Amino acid sequence: MGVVQYIAKRVGLYFAVLFIGLTITFFLPRFMPANPIDGYIGELQSRASGSLTSEAIAELRDNLEQLYGLKGDLFTQYVSFLNRVVLHFDFGPSFAFYPEPVSNIILNALPWTLTLLLTTTVLGWALGNMVGLVAGYFHTRKLATLLEIVGIMIYPIPYYILAVSLIILFAYIIPIFPLSPTFPVGDISLSKIWLIVYNSLLPAMALILAGFGWNILSMKALAVATTEEAYVTYARLKGTSHWTRMVRYVFRNAMLPQVTALALSIGTVFNGALLTEILFSFPGVGLIMRTAASGGDYNVLYGAITVSIVAVATAGLVIDLIYPLLDPRIRHK
Amino acid sequence: MARLGRFLLVPFLGALLTSTAFAQGEMTDVGTPRSETLIVQTFDGKVANPDAQNPLISYAIWRGFRELGWSSLWEMDTAKGVSYPELAAEMPEVLNPEHTKFRVKLREGVYWSDGVEFTTDDLDYTLATAFKYRDKLTRVSAYTSLIKSWNVIDKYTIEFETAEPSYDFQTAMGVYSWGAQFVPVPKHIFEPQGDDVVSFKNTNAVTLGPYKIKAFDPNGFWQLWERRDDWERSGWGNLGEPKAKYVLYKDFGPEETRTLAFVQNQYDVDTFMSPDSIQAAKGRNPAVQTFSATMPFHDMNDACSWGVYINQEKAPFDKSEVRWALALGLDLKQVGITALSGQFKAAALPLSDTPITDPLFYKPSASFLNDLTLEDGYKPFNPNFGSELVDALKAQGMPEADLPTGDAIEASFGMGWWKFDPAETEKLMASVGMKKGADGFFMNADGTPFTIDFAVPGDWNKTLQRLGFSIGDSWQKAGFNVQVRQVDNGEFNAVQNTNSKLELMLNWSNTCVYNSNWRNTWRVLRPENVKPADSSDPLTGNYLRVTDPDIFKIVSDSASLETDSDEFVKNGIEIAHMLTEGMQEINLMSIPTSIPTNNTYWTNYSKQDNFYAAPYTWWSSFKKTLVNIEPTGK
Repeated sequence: MGVVQYIAKRVGLYFAVLFIGLTITFFLPRFMPANPIDGYIGELQSRASGSLTSEAIAELRDNLEQLYGLKGDLFTQYVSFLNRVVLHFDFGPSFAFYPEPVSNIILNALPWTLTLLLTTTVLGWALGNMVGLVAGYFHTRKLATLLEIVGIMIYPIPYYILAVSLIILFAYIIPIFPLSPTFPVGDISLSKIWLIVYNSLLPAMALILAGFGWNILSMKALAVATTEEAYVTYARLKGTSHWTRMVRYVFRNAMLPQVTALALSIGTVFNGALLTEILFSFPGVGLIMRTAASGGDYNVLYGAITVSIVAVATAGLVIDLIYPLLDPRIRHK
Repeated sequence: MARLGRFLLVPFLGALLTSTAFAQGEMTDVGTPRSETLIVQTFDGKVANPDAQNPLISYAIWRGFRELGWSSLWEMDTAKGVSYPELAAEMPEVLNPEHTKFRVKLREGVYWSDGVEFTTDDLDYTLATAFKYRDKLTRVSAYTSLIKSWNVIDKYTIEFETAEPSYDFQTAMGVYSWGAQFVPVPKHIFEPQGDDVVSFKNTNAVTLGPYKIKAFDPNGFWQLWERRDDWERSGWGNLGEPKAKYVLYKDFGPEETRTLAFVQNQYDVDTFMSPDSIQAAKGRNPAVQTFSATMPFHDMNDACSWGVYINQEKAPFDKSEVRWALALGLDLKQVGITALSGQFKAAALPLSDTPITDPLFYKPSASFLNDLTLEDGYKPFNPNFGSELVDALKAQGMPEADLPTGDAIEASFGMGWWKFDPAETEKLMASVGMKKGADGFFMNADGTPFTIDFAVPGDWNKTLQRLGFSIGDSWQKAGFNVQVRQVDNGEFNAVQNTNSKLELMLNWSNTCVYNSNWRNTWRVLRPENVKPADSSDPLTGNYLRVTDPDIFKIVSDSASLETDSDEFVKNGIEIAHMLTEGMQEINLMSIPTSIPTNNTYWTNYSKQDNFYAAPYTWWSSFKKTLVNIEPTGK
């Protein structure tokens, strides 16, 4: 298969996934038990003690249907939806925070989510893999067992317990971090950047620890298996150093599944880290999705889901495209 | 290497400790002196659009807007249930016997926070804009449907004509309980926006109250208010000096972190903390106090009551026997202990039992309730509900010092509720041909399974969620095959508004009688608001699904009565009795609202033994708290 053909196939698949995802996102709310427009008008009627005239209701309905893209038959709505979402990233206004555009709400939250989660995902991955590699490569030594025990101990702790334990330990018993952060406002300065970092340290620590254990265990298992491979034995007999064998022979071969896992984790970063954002009052996409779900704010929910679909599909595409660079066997095919 | 580690570690730890000291020292983490800052937990949590501060379109009523930022023509004294003038100089002057024309005089010398005087020009502009864009402005429907026309007489005098007789003009255009629907906006700020006023955000709003916005978090977690230097000439400056120079509304996160922050004195007033967390906080910090020192500990004076709303138009709930069977098959004592640790005040009539409604509706209904007899001769009322609850709580090990005695039992736990009598439940169900099957559950008269869909709020209202599951459990034990269904906020509204979606639900929307003016909530009970049982058209406020023409007639006839007259109140009592006789709603309790306070920095909050206003931080009457609290000097 030629390079162009390989790329075209992957890109085609990518757009097919996006199309199916967006189509489901469009049709899903149409099957929901609640009609948001009726709900909204009902709320307004209630506020007006049921005294809105039928003309006033018709005007409101017309205006709201326009705003929420519910005008015309299903096909017209679908075409208009694709046009708005794909070309303009426009999901209409939020129901709960009317008339704030959903795109604004998501775009405001995304930088917080991305900064925290990208950093912690990559750090947790790198640290976990480093420890796992050492533990796997030197698996016959006592120190390696100790490192594995660290992974075994951290990995099964439910994230909620881990996060609350950190909060109690570092924000209550030894109060060096805030219980609920107060992010500074106004023009950015060095001290404000420090405050943002300081306020983000505790949730970051929780996320790194949560990802750390799994990465240790999985990399250790991969490294142990790879260490037994004939080409590693051959390298040892050739007289290469431990460092060279560990990094160039074992790590390079063991890291492929880990890279896939990292890329998929990065894709799901766009969903936000729901529990982290709730427990640490961190202003990301997860918190927005949670508020939207409990408040029946369907537009926000579908906006966030769409971002997530695009992110996961893009992560998959990126993996597919960089795999040949990492693995000569795929390049060869 | 070790030297390098120390080199990196020392400044890091230093910075950490500096930040911690900054956060927990004399200053708040928004840079104001803690001793001058009242800090309260926000009611609405984190918001996604904190910069949207236009009261004509957006939800700019939380985070202090309603209490500190806006001002209304007439405010409510929430300790007595009586209106008083705020922006108006006096109560509205009625100009015709039909009560459709009113003259309103404004207080002179009231200024917006930017120094421009507040006059009838602002009212004129607000009304004209609301009417012009009523299809796009989503916060104006209440008064655009009330007002027919208005006429500015001079800078401080304006006359109104209403579309129909309005005997509650001061609450319709002012505050009834939690806040005013009509919020005047500054003409000099809004008028230049032209048609864009429908999307104008009004960020950093010019305010009329004695506070102005100092800063807010663009992420929506907090908003800081600063007292105006000219607070005396603000919308409610005549009430007295607000004691706190700064008021910070902040979301302290989930209950886990909120409780810890409260113990650490990081804030002063909480909202809806669960009884378990309050107990834990009190145990660790004696400065934490509940509304009352004894059971039920919390404020029970909300305008609304919680109850089970029934689709009376749908069989078999159209039969009063089935509705009564449900009421008598509910062990409210056990439900209240399980879901609320017994911290609730039972309310048998379809309205809350508060110091305001008790003398108006409950006390005059004592003999009605005691004498009430069902068609089979059964007397369903249990006047000893409170004392039995006290006994049950004692048996569970609650310290006697925490429990009320004597007359205080009725004040704390209500004047009674319905008997828990599964035998009578069976009898009533049998009277309409519904008997228990082999599985122990009631069946329909034709022998098919009788299941009940019971919609309750999901995670967005945890107390009601818990209460709903507990009720479902109690009914299951009594033989009702109830499916408790958690719904999100959107679906809750849909179930509430749509006949075809409702069987039973937990609700409060139609049981909000706050004072003698019962029509404020029950005016929606009219024939136009009745829809067929299977209708999917949205209802317009008659969430109780009342169909009784006699009730509609009383509601209609009362439109031409003074809302505090004896006849008007008598009509309200009659409606309450009619709703009760047919068990048209299983009213459960006054809404238990937990508002724990922390006395470390501020004292003299409104409490049971010092009740000068509803203690809610999200009601406009919180202004009374701001002028009554005292700094401790810490």
